[in-house]
Amino acid sequence: MTTFEIRSGVDLHDVQGNIIKGYGRYGFPVARYVTYRINAAVAGRTFIKLLVPMLTTSVPWSESGVVEEGTKQPPSTTNVALTYEGLRRLGVPERSLLSFPDEFVMGMRARASILGDVGASAPKNWDPVWQTEDGQQPVHLLVTINAESSDALAQRYEEVGLAARAANDVAGDSAGVQQLAGHRSAGGADAAFQDGAALRDEHGTPGPKEHFGYTDGISDPYYKDSGSRSSNVIGGGKRLRDSSPATDAGWAPLATGELLLGHTDEALEYPAAPVPSTLSKNGTYLVYRKLHQNVATFDRYAASEAAKLSMEENLFRAKLVGRWPNGAPLASFPTEAEANAFNAKLEQAKADRFDETATPTQRAAATERHLELKEQQSGFDYREDIAGESCPVGAHSRRANPRGSLEFGQDHAFSTPGALVNRRRIARRGLPYGDSSDRSVDNGDHGIIFMAIGASINRQFEFVQQQWMNFGNDFRLGNDQDALLASWPDEDIDPLRARMTFEVDPDGMEVPKICTGIPQFVETRGGDYFFVPSLTALSAIARGAVDPT
Amino acid sequence: MSNVAGKAQALNVWTPTRRKGIENRIIFWVLPRFFKKKLRGLQTLSLIHYARWVIIAPKDFPNLGEGQPTEELRHHYECFLSNFNGNWDQYIDSFSMSLGTGLDMLWFKNVGFPNSVPIEPFHAYINANSIPTDHYYSAYPLAASNDVKAAQRVRDSLVTLAGSASGMSPKQFRQAYDDTIRKHQDDISRLDESVIVSLATEAVQNQARQEAF
Amino acid sequence: MVGAGGGGRLPKSSKHYGLTALCPIKLGTAPGRNSSYEAVVRETLAGLDSHERSPMARVPNTYLARLYILKDVFYEGRSQQEHLKSQYLFFGSDFHGELEPYLRGMWENIEPEVRLIWQHCVAFGSSVNSAESFVDYIKKCQVSNTFLFNGSNDRPLAEQLKGLYLKQEFGDFVASHQGASDDELRSAFLSFAERVQVTKLDGPTWRPGAQTLESARTHS
Repeated sequence: MTTFEIRSGVDLHDVQGNIIKGYGRYGFPVARYVTYRINAAVAGRTFIKLLVPMLTTSVPWSESGVVEEGTKQPPSTTNVALTYEGLRRLGVPERSLLSFPDEFVMGMRARASILGDVGASAPKNWDPVWQTEDGQQPVHLLVTINAESSDALAQRYEEVGLAARAANDVAGDSAGVQQLAGHRSAGGADAAFQDGAALRDEHGTPGPKEHFGYTDGISDPYYKDSGSRSSNVIGGGKRLRDSSPATDAGWAPLATGELLLGHTDEALEYPAAPVPSTLSKNGTYLVYRKLHQNVATFDRYAASEAAKLSMEENLFRAKLVGRWPNGAPLASFPTEAEANAFNAKLEQAKADRFDETATPTQRAAATERHLELKEQQSGFDYREDIAGESCPVGAHSRRANPRGSLEFGQDHAFSTPGALVNRRRIARRGLPYGDSSDRSVDNGDHGIIFMAIGASINRQFEFVQQQWMNFGNDFRLGNDQDALLASWPDEDIDPLRARMTFEVDPDGMEVPKICTGIPQFVETRGGDYFFVPSLTALSAIARGAVDPT
Repeated sequence: MSNVAGKAQALNVWTPTRRKGIENRIIFWVLPRFFKKKLRGLQTLSLIHYARWVIIAPKDFPNLGEGQPTEELRHHYECFLSNFNGNWDQYIDSFSMSLGTGLDMLWFKNVGFPNSVPIEPFHAYINANSIPTDHYYSAYPLAASNDVKAAQRVRDSLVTLAGSASGMSPKQFRQAYDDTIRKHQDDISRLDESVIVSLATEAVQNQARQEAF
Repeated sequence: MVGAGGGGRLPKSSKHYGLTALCPIKLGTAPGRNSSYEAVVRETLAGLDSHERSPMARVPNTYLARLYILKDVFYEGRSQQEHLKSQYLFFGSDFHGELEPYLRGMWENIEPEVRLIWQHCVAFGSSVNSAESFVDYIKKCQVSNTFLFNGSNDRPLAEQLKGLYLKQEFGDFVASHQGASDDELRSAFLSFAERVQVTKLDGPTWRPGAQTLESARTHS
């Protein structure tokens, strides 16, 4: 029985839906990201005015559609976000603009050396749509559409396009709001939009895999008052001391202000936010990053390096990210047999849960079982694995979320085990794009649209990217980088520099394995930093009524 | 002018104390003797090479004669110096969230000290009372405190291993070697230049490089 | 809380010394210059080379050191405002060993730079002309630490640098000798040990202050 807390501390009607909901998980396997340039303020403001009624909010969906329980799930969702240059061109006053944080004002391109966007990932290699001639951010407004089907997607895209044309008519300027093409796709470098889609399994069913074959997006942060299922606190909240990570007593919700402006955060204050509060409250930031995946290089390296280190290839792949390709965490399931047995149970429970021939009672029991098993996928920490013998200390998912392991086994060193983690969590959104069925080449159209959402781009996304992905000191790993995301200034990097250690039991008989010569698997292809205003703020922007006085 | 020397950053903070800093002197006397646990967080955080707190009374300001005027101050000042790893603006959350009440003791009742949580006022207080370093030097810009400590462990073990290797059979050596790398599996990660500390620091360094040519 | 040498060391058994010195700068206009003595000192500090070319790189056993100018104290808005009457050149150094030999080593290795940096400080020109008088001068400027924190170790600098060199070289050795036979491994390690000279502190090792790997290795 799901209970929705509509009357919580957050006005979910005011918060855009992509902030709270991972649409992919609600049966929206396709997405379209549409980029706009604003040439005339009136057209831009009119466009937003027309978009506001089309936007999807964070109000929970229920099948009945009874308002008290939430609204009915639509066939597609629509959300809008703005860059700094977008806000400026819409006529938001200088005083408000100057109250945004530096990194947002500068935009992602200017932050390249903080993010490690060098070499193949350098901005000059990004898609044409992200290239700039005048030094200003080229993209001003981003519309994101998620849909249950390609038809629903096409229809909503058409409606958004009509709104843009109508806005230009009102402004009497046919290019007042201009859709920006220049997204690289299978068809060339000039696609009018960026499409994303969940990858499909052999039966054509969309699933949670990404192009390297891993199950993605298992642990999403859980925030207070976000209206999501309370059991998601396990693995998604902040780690508490003295209770098992497998139970909900082991976790507490993250403060809402880690996700949303205008609400208190983990430092017991309101996060720094632009003025006036009507502009910032219930809004947040979104990092949009198009990441190309070199699938051929990845497959080749996994096979050859696993052989070199005398390892099963699946174990090798699991060690890089900290999860088996089927999603089972190494920390709880150190062997492939355990991981497979667990996954079989999970798949069975899932099938039973949605088995239409079963009785409601049977399905309810299967649902219960399925949810319990899913908790096991995320209800763990590294307290029993400080040395990294099961999950390497430098594994991707452990770097992204160390789950209270940064006390390094010194229980009570900090006031709470999550002290170094709770201010660095990001909500992950986005979907894969393209097709990687030809695994023999790197240069096909395949990758992921990575989206990170949080109340501070600098404190959360940039910190994780720079200190936890591109560096190793917080894990006591020197300059070691994340194997999956590491980017290198040039190709002839010292193979002994690009390495990662698979630790062993320090009291055992095995020896650690060190993979070396890790090539660049992922290349940044573009993106920017966006502000995701509340519905209230969007209406004020549309009316030209933002006044910080 | 730079507070940055590779992986180390200097911080210089001067704050007035209340009541001649008497409580602060007591805390600093008591802390290492009876509250070692309070300092364990700082050791575990492991982001500091060396740090010190100096409480300076008006009469402590050196007067070397030759017409130097005598200082006439009412407050005793607390001067804090640290050599830590990372960018202070980026890592303030790590310090505040992990040490919390411990940090509050270190600036106990200093005039205007807002406590370390919430973080924004604490951040503003430290920034407002900081003095930039004119010349900062580290003997190992490529190393964080973690690296220096790991390096010492590796060196100590290698002295033993190298001292006994020639007298061992290949099989005996293999065992001793395996024991060594198992013990130091994460002590032997690679060192290199720091990730950039900030865009401003990067710009200063680039300009310095250009000047050099 | 007073340790040896006027409170530079805590606890007394530690080999880590934290020197805190406040050196008053002369008041008034520097002769022949359109600026104060303080501005000249600041110019001098700005002109010092950094990292491996910093003068402090030539001072034995220096872990980390800093120089800055204390212009005034800060006002917190809640009590009567007050000001310093002099500006001070702040010299802080974390090093291994005892204060006096450290300062003598400083004088012996970088006397010209010491004279350059401190020339406009009160009583420096009139009293300092030798290692011993430099030691006396700095001791007059020293203030006692109240609390000294060591988050690293207190080994001699040469051991720390040799350790860093060995950590890097041994890591590379381990990573590139996986899968070697027992025979190969032992003989490769013996040549490795011969090359890196584990117990020899003066080389091969890392150069003090090196900010790039390339520069660190030029010492080895």
